[in-house]
Amino acid sequence: MALATLGKFKEALKERPAELADARREGKKAIGWIGYYVPEEVIHALGLIPVRIGRGGDDRLAELGSNYISTQNCIFLRECVGLFAENKDPYVKNLDAVVVDAACLQMYRMSSIIKYYFKANTLVLGVPRNYYLPEGREYFRKEMGFLVERLENIAGHELEAEKLVASVKLYDDIRRAVLELYKFPSLYCQPITWREVFETVQSGYLLDKEKYLSLLKELLAELKEKPDSFGGASPEKGVRVLLTGSAIHPGDTKLIDIIEASGGRVVCDNLWSGLAPYLDKKVEDATLGGIADAYLGRVPAPALPYFDGATDPRLNTLKRLAKELEVHGVIYYTLRYCDSANFKVRNTKNALADDGVPLLNIHTEYSGSDAGAIRTRVEAFIEMLGTADDKEMRQ
Amino acid sequence: MCDDKSNMQAYAGVDVGSLATKSVVIVDGNIAGSSVIPTGVYPEKAGQEAMKIALASAGLEQNELRFIVATGYGRITAKYADKTVTEITCHAKGASYLRQAARTIIDMGGQDCKVIKLDREGNVDDFAMNDKCAAGTGRFLEVMANVFKVSLDELGPMALKAKSIVPISSTCTVFAESEVISLIARGEPPEDILKGIHQAISNRVSGMASRVNPEAEIFFSGGVAKNVGMKAALETALKSSVYVPDFDPQLVGALGAAVLAKSHGPKV
Repeated sequence: MALATLGKFKEALKERPAELADARREGKKAIGWIGYYVPEEVIHALGLIPVRIGRGGDDRLAELGSNYISTQNCIFLRECVGLFAENKDPYVKNLDAVVVDAACLQMYRMSSIIKYYFKANTLVLGVPRNYYLPEGREYFRKEMGFLVERLENIAGHELEAEKLVASVKLYDDIRRAVLELYKFPSLYCQPITWREVFETVQSGYLLDKEKYLSLLKELLAELKEKPDSFGGASPEKGVRVLLTGSAIHPGDTKLIDIIEASGGRVVCDNLWSGLAPYLDKKVEDATLGGIADAYLGRVPAPALPYFDGATDPRLNTLKRLAKELEVHGVIYYTLRYCDSANFKVRNTKNALADDGVPLLNIHTEYSGSDAGAIRTRVEAFIEMLGTADDKEMRQ
Repeated sequence: MCDDKSNMQAYAGVDVGSLATKSVVIVDGNIAGSSVIPTGVYPEKAGQEAMKIALASAGLEQNELRFIVATGYGRITAKYADKTVTEITCHAKGASYLRQAARTIIDMGGQDCKVIKLDREGNVDDFAMNDKCAAGTGRFLEVMANVFKVSLDELGPMALKAKSIVPISSTCTVFAESEVISLIARGEPPEDILKGIHQAISNRVSGMASRVNPEAEIFFSGGVAKNVGMKAALETALKSSVYVPDFDPQLVGALGAAVLAKSHGPKV
């Protein structure tokens, strides 16, 4: 039975562009953002409306963007440029500024391009490469302060400490709710699919935050009431898959569709557009410095330098999730020219192999021309991992 | 071929590839018939036709089959099949049937190339696949055969006659074709250029094979495995012996599909 609250999310999302336009007419300002280190709670605390921008899966928009940004950049960022070039997206055309963090250098380049060609008011947040050193943390604190100065100028007032505390609390509540929600697709009875959870979290980046939290709580309550949520149902067939690699953004469904059609079941992800930003984030001190430390202390963005295999927190998080969630295999999604994900495939594959977890790399773009080829790989991987039916066939 | 058909266990595998469609029929665990025909533009019809020819060569009718498995890129159109399985799994099964000790398979087909690693039981342990680019496929060799105005079958033996080697720097089919035309114009011996072509392909395939940590020896299947020059080039690039089965290597996928059909048992 479909979850009623998911319908409410869809309804809220449908109404959101008009709400945003109305709010701007009333004098509120909307701040688009994209990246992994942008402190959304600070934007919120200033009374600005945070809106995460960017969509995936649209080859036409990516082609449009390619008129402005080199085709040797990842297709997601080319599509982002295409969104600004076309200027029809209800969120993109309703922005007063765009905050971009510079962890991914292609994203940094994208911010220059939308500023140059489309006069977007872009604010770049510098991110240290040496994020693990005290100097790196100091640099990031200063960058955070500089970003806030620029946001204060847009808001027309200074950041108030009490409002920051309230926003930090709100975002922490959202984070806890998202982490709780993410547990459900990994249950064997799967009362909510990973795709539904992922789409819910993506919608949260657009919705009013108080409303988002309220709907999240309602969804969690509905899930807990479902009789089959906790141990009621027998395990269903399906190969349990964990997704990692390049970010998947709303609209980029090619791989997910193929996995589901091939009999695979995604139980979790470790994507920077999915679960990763919610892991290990602890704002101990609701000040700008405390927030900067909390963001930098999380599992690092894929674009930042790697440690040695054995100590890298990204790899260890992936290994931990694979083990805890009892996945049969990992599908490592890479977008062409997303080099920060591409070059780590072999290392990640070897590290997971040590734990007996196979990895399949799917390397693609947004066009559908390779859908058949991807389907063969994914189906073969699912056959390899083996459902009960396939195991029977192997004998 | 069977006098008493009442207890006969006949199964068919159909491999609808991009260029050729293959079918193998096994009866009581033994290969009883096979066929290879061009796929053309109607993969479903090609699959049915290939199976019909394979059945005829085994002296059987379709209604005597207990189970049919289809594989290959055209498997999605195979409404006549009881089950579809990817060509990766089928090649693994086919290779294991022919050579139980096989641990690494290189399959070079019409438009794709794959390397499959097997476990001790003949199950797929890992694989890598190239199907976005014609390098390392039958199509690449077809283009080259056309440049030299020789048949596909002549390429390998010609390459083995090379006295030297002319390296080919490009593995892109289009660029390699231009490069080869330039080399011919420069007066390089065709045999030496062909050796270079085989070396370029085998180096590329070797790079792909390294992704699955191949184990010696290499089981070579697919239509390109009939090319003796490619076998030799792969042995050099991989520093490993390459085994080409006596059974038509182009039929390994269809054979694997038939073996899987057999393991699935009669339909309910």
